[in-house]
Amino acid sequence: MIELLAPAGNLEMVAEAVRGGANAIYVGPRGWSRRRDAFEMDDAAVRESIRIAHGGGAKLRVAFNTNMQSAELAELLRRMETFVGYGADGAIMTDIGAIALVHQYFPDLTIHASIGANILNNADVAFYREIGVSQVVADTKLTLKELASRKEQLDVGIEILIHANYCYTYLGKCWMSPYHRLERTTDDAGKDLFRGSPNRGGLDYRVCLEAWQLYSGDIKWEDRVALKNDAFFLLEDIPHLIDMGVHCLKIQGREYAVSLVGAIVKFYRDLIDAYEACPKDERFDLEPWKARLATIQGDRDSQRSKGTQALLAEARIPVGAIRSR
Amino acid sequence: MDRPFELNTTISNLRDLKASDLSPYDAVYLGNITCRLYEANLLEHPDDLREAIATVKDQGLSVYVTSYAAPRNDFLPKLRKAIAVAVEAGADAVEVHNLGVLKIVHETHPGLPVHIGGFANVYTDAGAEVLKGFGAVRITPNYELSLEEIGQIQRQVGLPMELLVHGKMPLGISDHCFLLEYEEAWGMKCPDLCQQDLFLKQGDWAMKSVGKGVLSGRDVCMLEHLPHLVADGYTRFRIETVSESPAYRLDVGRVYREALERACGGTVDMEERWWDTLRRHARIGLCNGFYFGKSGMEYLGVRPDAVASALRRPVADATDYQPEGAMR
Repeated sequence: MIELLAPAGNLEMVAEAVRGGANAIYVGPRGWSRRRDAFEMDDAAVRESIRIAHGGGAKLRVAFNTNMQSAELAELLRRMETFVGYGADGAIMTDIGAIALVHQYFPDLTIHASIGANILNNADVAFYREIGVSQVVADTKLTLKELASRKEQLDVGIEILIHANYCYTYLGKCWMSPYHRLERTTDDAGKDLFRGSPNRGGLDYRVCLEAWQLYSGDIKWEDRVALKNDAFFLLEDIPHLIDMGVHCLKIQGREYAVSLVGAIVKFYRDLIDAYEACPKDERFDLEPWKARLATIQGDRDSQRSKGTQALLAEARIPVGAIRSR
Repeated sequence: MDRPFELNTTISNLRDLKASDLSPYDAVYLGNITCRLYEANLLEHPDDLREAIATVKDQGLSVYVTSYAAPRNDFLPKLRKAIAVAVEAGADAVEVHNLGVLKIVHETHPGLPVHIGGFANVYTDAGAEVLKGFGAVRITPNYELSLEEIGQIQRQVGLPMELLVHGKMPLGISDHCFLLEYEEAWGMKCPDLCQQDLFLKQGDWAMKSVGKGVLSGRDVCMLEHLPHLVADGYTRFRIETVSESPAYRLDVGRVYREALERACGGTVDMEERWWDTLRRHARIGLCNGFYFGKSGMEYLGVRPDAVASALRRPVADATDYQPEGAMR
């Protein structure tokens, strides 16, 4: 059975995702995942997340999917040992050195290559498998044909983001945000939060969504250039993905409201269950599902839009002027 | 390497190569990493690549063949061909930005020196160690790293780190060229669109667009820090000119050649004419990238007056410049 993987930015969201029917949940330890620290957790909360998830029959993955500093690798291994001791079921990771080290010290731990690893071709997958990865998150820009080729040629678990945004750039290969604003702040545990650098664990200011004007020399050629950044919901592809044997359907959104994440998880749970219960010789009608998704999409777009405006405003604030949160 | 340092640069096609005076340089990276449709991209034209390699070698320079920053499955056959041509024609190394391509090169051409490019995302010494096992002999760390972090990797792993010391720093790579939307409106077709020296601007923010690639608007400039870089043991330096004119390539190369020779001789004096040259070529201004652990568009240095933009806005005005260690 295909796995539904849900995000959780706090304990309430973990419980809501379990209630909604997620098979697995991912959380980020503070400073170590690709989200703002407000949507990450301290160690006690990670431990409680594992307890809640396991109590509801779900798995719990810990996201260490930043590109950390060399000097932070020892602390990474200490934290990983702690979470493995708590019963974490897997680690989502990006940095190849960190992956190799974690695989060396915790050979039984399932390592998932994060979306930030930007795995684009079959040779990429083979590389990550060689250093210890057993499941990979497919880049959002890959086509179904590319995914099918991967599944046919390689014995690897594939995770697909089904509810997220396409960035203009490839994820993990963009540092536009810290080019404009990078704030170096350490938390109480001494972890550098790299505010402004999503690759390094900080928030992304989404500067690509600024109202850019296009110039050649001093001449303005275009008054408003949109760098493509569309939301996507792979509703119509989900039946194909299930038939293809994809291992996991993943939802993004640790920063959204608990109720919205709960509604999203419940929606996809119901959809997957309905499709799997539908006899193969019968047509599966997606129309009622499209109507239900439209409501969720409206809420989600509204929350994301407000978030983007706040981030762009924050990106203009001089470094040092924002008090640590 | 028997010379005290290597100064290298980048060239995408044969036309640009033939128009360029490479006398300030020791080595050249051939090919465009951003787009398969870039005008006569050497990675897509084996005969051109063969001729380009011979041309560079005839000048007594080292020649490296680069590869795509974000190759999908359908890129790989042409890329395999380009790498085979590089080997046959005697290129000194290939540069890879993609770990799948690294694996291919390691398996099909064992022993071929491999340079790791900035898009390969080397952030840690452990990561560099992994790549060393796949044949890496030189690494350009991810551009987000500070000199402190880069130094740690170099010391721990024992491989030379290549530094982008001048030019527009890559900021991102996309699969989508938004410039194609303007073909009709501008009366211009690909591959001419991305040759128009285009900048995305909003207020005091600016980034250069080359279609699928986004570059820093300001030129990274480490001129006044070269003596420190040399003292810290760095020997491989890149001037990124892939989206620049032959004149930029020559003039900026000459400045850095002279400055590096002086730095290697133990002299730290800066020439006023060097700054004039850099000012003239920087359309938006100068920055230090992430080398000092700050936002990439900041400039930290003792000569803020020296980096005023050739265009309207001074780059290092009061809001840009701060003494090292100061907080705004």
